[in-house]
Amino acid sequence: MKFKIRNKTVRRIVSIGLVIALALFFALSTEAFLSPRNLFLLLKDSAYLGLIALGVSIVIIGGGIDLSGGGIVCVVGILTSRLTFTGLPGIVILAGGVMLGAICGAANGFLIAALHLTEFVATLATGFVFTGMGLLFAYRSNGRISGNLVSKSITNKSFLAMGKHINGLYWITIVWIAMTVLSHFVLIRTKFGLHTYALGSHEKSAEMSGVNVARQKALGFVISGACAGLASVMVVANMGASAASLGTGYEFQAIAACVVGGLVLGGGKGDTIGAFIGSIFMLLVLNGLYKFNLPTYWQYIFQGAIIILATAFDAQFAKFAQKRRAAESAAQTAA
Amino acid sequence: MEEGRVLLRTEGIFKQFNGVTVLDDVDLEIRYGEVHALMGENGAGKSTIIKIITGVYAKDGGEIFVDGESVAINNRQDARARGISVIYQELSLVPALTVTENIFLGQEIERRGLLTKKKMREMVRALIGRYAFEIDPDAVVDSLGMAQRQMVEILKALSMDAKLIIMDEPTSSLSAAESEKLFDTIDGLREKGAGILYVSHRLDEVYRLSDRLTVMRDGRIVAVLDKSEINAKTVTTLMIGREPRESRARSGRDLFKDNCLEVKHLSYGKLLKDVSFTAYGGEILGIGGLVGSGRTELIRCIYGAAKQDGGEILFNGMPVSKRIAKNIRMGFGLVPEDRRVEGFIPVQSIEKNIAIASHDRLSKFGVVHARKETRWAEDAIQSYDIRPKNRNTPVANLSGGNQQKVVLGRWLSRDPKLLLLDEPTVGVDVGVKADLYDFMRKLAQSGAIIIMVSSDLFELTHISDRILVMHGGRFFEEFTHDNASQTSVLLAASGEHTEEGRAL
Repeated sequence: MKFKIRNKTVRRIVSIGLVIALALFFALSTEAFLSPRNLFLLLKDSAYLGLIALGVSIVIIGGGIDLSGGGIVCVVGILTSRLTFTGLPGIVILAGGVMLGAICGAANGFLIAALHLTEFVATLATGFVFTGMGLLFAYRSNGRISGNLVSKSITNKSFLAMGKHINGLYWITIVWIAMTVLSHFVLIRTKFGLHTYALGSHEKSAEMSGVNVARQKALGFVISGACAGLASVMVVANMGASAASLGTGYEFQAIAACVVGGLVLGGGKGDTIGAFIGSIFMLLVLNGLYKFNLPTYWQYIFQGAIIILATAFDAQFAKFAQKRRAAESAAQTAA
Repeated sequence: MEEGRVLLRTEGIFKQFNGVTVLDDVDLEIRYGEVHALMGENGAGKSTIIKIITGVYAKDGGEIFVDGESVAINNRQDARARGISVIYQELSLVPALTVTENIFLGQEIERRGLLTKKKMREMVRALIGRYAFEIDPDAVVDSLGMAQRQMVEILKALSMDAKLIIMDEPTSSLSAAESEKLFDTIDGLREKGAGILYVSHRLDEVYRLSDRLTVMRDGRIVAVLDKSEINAKTVTTLMIGREPRESRARSGRDLFKDNCLEVKHLSYGKLLKDVSFTAYGGEILGIGGLVGSGRTELIRCIYGAAKQDGGEILFNGMPVSKRIAKNIRMGFGLVPEDRRVEGFIPVQSIEKNIAIASHDRLSKFGVVHARKETRWAEDAIQSYDIRPKNRNTPVANLSGGNQQKVVLGRWLSRDPKLLLLDEPTVGVDVGVKADLYDFMRKLAQSGAIIIMVSSDLFELTHISDRILVMHGGRFFEEFTHDNASQTSVLLAASGEHTEEGRAL
């Protein structure tokens, strides 16, 4: 039998290739880029987005979309930063933050699976609600919420330890890598994973085959919420304070990272490794442009352009993949 | 599973919907190792009896026996537990998953919370080996053809220890080659002793496959035939309840020579090589040939929906445009092969579906005249007897026959000059068929050219004034109405010259 590369693999090579090409470009054109410090910071920032994107990617594989990631990061971040002053050990606060994120996700799941709201509308609405609830608990100075970092710095040592690094490698990066490996394993090797792909690829068929579609959908949102909660706690620990603007815009950044990484809105395709690569790619662009001293609006324009290019590529790629499959199928029929 | 033993038997099944009896005293019997065909017009009760056997509907009376034992089947799980599986028309596979994953979806084998992929693959491989299917357990379903997908469905049923497999019109979405593959699969199942209940409209399939045939009419079983007793005439008589009327001798048709379509040396991909013919107003020109012989592509080229590689198409001496909208204004109409996909917009009303091609006449400056549109639709509903007689009903809710009346009505209401029909009566019940033929005849008599592609030999030989049979990418033989017989047309389609036809 002839050796054949699967379409999936081709897509993966393309996204990794893009990351390498972009990194090479920045490495050659700016001096500061290749410094270990910059690379560790890049991985730290990627991890923040990447953890949110990881959760969102599971929803996307299941055929859904989650627009509430930013809101969850906001409410979890502000509540956990308050929790640090109770003196609880950091690990307990971490668990509390993840739990809170999961509860937010469960609310999404309830609206979607039990009340049959569409994913887009439900998570758009809860995203507002979560952000609002975050602001409700935000610290105020003279009765006004500060837009940036709240003045009150976190002093809880065991909590702040989670924001530190080992020889430059931040804990959030380590957690992100571990979570990506774990989630990939779960998607590939467990019933939960199989059912997620089945749900995203053809909901009706999955249901006919005995997959509990409502539960599966709800679980995806719970995981997505928990991941956003985890990202939020880790980033607050790193900054040593929370901000009212925490998480703003990250719901869209996360979806963009997934799309760049080869996940297809509509479901059934891609994996969390794709979301991992996509997140690095998004931050690489930001980091690189920063090194060029370009104004921030260029970041927006570039990010938008990347999303367009990635989706346009995927549309062309789908045609190409279809052709390959058709040829394969014809060969099979002939044989 | 010894062959010939009774697998499933129903006794006196009775079912009513809202006080209307839809099944009355149905005694169905299926044995191990037989392909048992079930035929009947639409509404004869075939689907209802299947749904009762598989636990989708509750019966109002009667008993079901599996292996001679009276059983209660209240839901799909009960049916599954008794070894009864259905292969539905719309397949229930997940395209992104592999064959193995699909077969075990919903009944995965796990060890310590993890999927036992190797074990499941081996089980599928063993199953495939036992039935000698040609399929790779690791192939992603998306990359498989329709026939292979049906194999996966069948494997899925077999993996649940199905002994009775019910197939409802399984070839409706298959090409001829794929159908042949499915038939081999079915033969294999029969050899292994499984029972198969095969529902089909197509007599040639039933003849090819079945050991016995049960014919239903009006909710009752009218006959159970053995293989030797199955022939077209007997079966249709039983289904319809009256002899199909023979109207072969008929008066000559007037040709309207001023309305003519000329196709010259048309070629299209590998399918059409040098196709030429001329059709005049006043005649129904039938186009015969096997499925996949390029007939559909030919009429799509004429309509402007496909672009030919070579040759020309002239309508009254003028080259035909490749823009569909323009051709419609010239008086073209097309009733496509798959009406669900191309023929109508399911969620929209009868009115919108009929008016959609006539907005050139119903609107001014891009604004649709609502009252004109309503009147246009009401006229069509009356003239073509579309039921229900409510212009606001979504077409998806109509029966197959009435859906086709909507598609046909859209064109007829414009008084087209050239009407192209692709398998116009597939899935349409006999009563509506007669109506459709009437409409076509009347349109032809008014001077329009009608070109009808059909695989239904009876339809082709009875309705057409002239038949061109396609084979190997060109027209092979021509028949007049009077000398066309179903056998000779079929022979010509298979590439054998006949005495009746004129070789081209």
